[in-house]
Amino acid sequence: MFIINCPYCGERDQTEFSCGGEAHIERPKQPTELSDDQWAEYLFMRKNIKGIQFERWNHIHGCRKWFNVVRDTSNDKIHAVYKMGERPPVK
Amino acid sequence: MLNFNSPIKEEKKFNDLNIIEVEPTIKINLRSSKREFSTKIGKILSILPPSEANTSSGNEKFNLLWLSPDEWLIYSNDKKMTLDDQINLEDKLFNGISKLNHGAVTNVSDHWIMVNLKGNKVYDLLSKSCPYNFNEYKKKKGSVAQTIVNHIDVILHNKEDNNLNLFVRRSFSEDLWLWLNDSARFI
Repeated sequence: MFIINCPYCGERDQTEFSCGGEAHIERPKQPTELSDDQWAEYLFMRKNIKGIQFERWNHIHGCRKWFNVVRDTSNDKIHAVYKMGERPPVK
Repeated sequence: MLNFNSPIKEEKKFNDLNIIEVEPTIKINLRSSKREFSTKIGKILSILPPSEANTSSGNEKFNLLWLSPDEWLIYSNDKKMTLDDQINLEDKLFNGISKLNHGAVTNVSDHWIMVNLKGNKVYDLLSKSCPYNFNEYKKKKGSVAQTIVNHIDVILHNKEDNNLNLFVRRSFSEDLWLWLNDSARFI
């Protein structure tokens, strides 16, 4: 259990949130020109790394807004929180 | 606004704690991110929607709660407001906002049940199954929190010291009511 600082509501417990998976995955501009493998790569394949990962989260039991989180998956330490559409603050 | 029957029919009194369902009052959900919206609301209700997170604004008639940066909830303080008055208010808001494409107005009177919790043990009761930190919340009159109590979504509006209104979805109200009464016996 950990605390997430929602960019709209402030600090809340993790149980109020839901994780939406990896962030910054761009939809291919011409899906019809992709092979099945490339399309499957876009749809299903995720990095799932042990370490710092960029994720989308939703404050589902609060303001119901989506935002991005930079989280270390090995120890749940949150390095940054930023709104949708903003550039990631850390590389 | 057709069915006002509530599964909660009684007032419960415990040591330093009173729990009662407040008579059905009008509740209207507002959504907008347009600039004209605030002035329209100001004209119709004489209150401006709060832009600061977790706060509310109000006058003797209505309260306007912040739910998210583009969503607010209005509820009436007036228990004697007739059904005609409620329909008039909804029409005024709908014609002033929804029809002109300034935002969305939805009547959610039957969607939310309002329960009033009063007494010194209010926060002891909620803390039994709520992950929210009430330290700052209870100091500030009018503060609003959307959180979970016993895994059920609720909106909490701090009216005054140890007196708050809790909004819960109708379908979950009986479950939460039973949980509140059960837990209140042990504080």
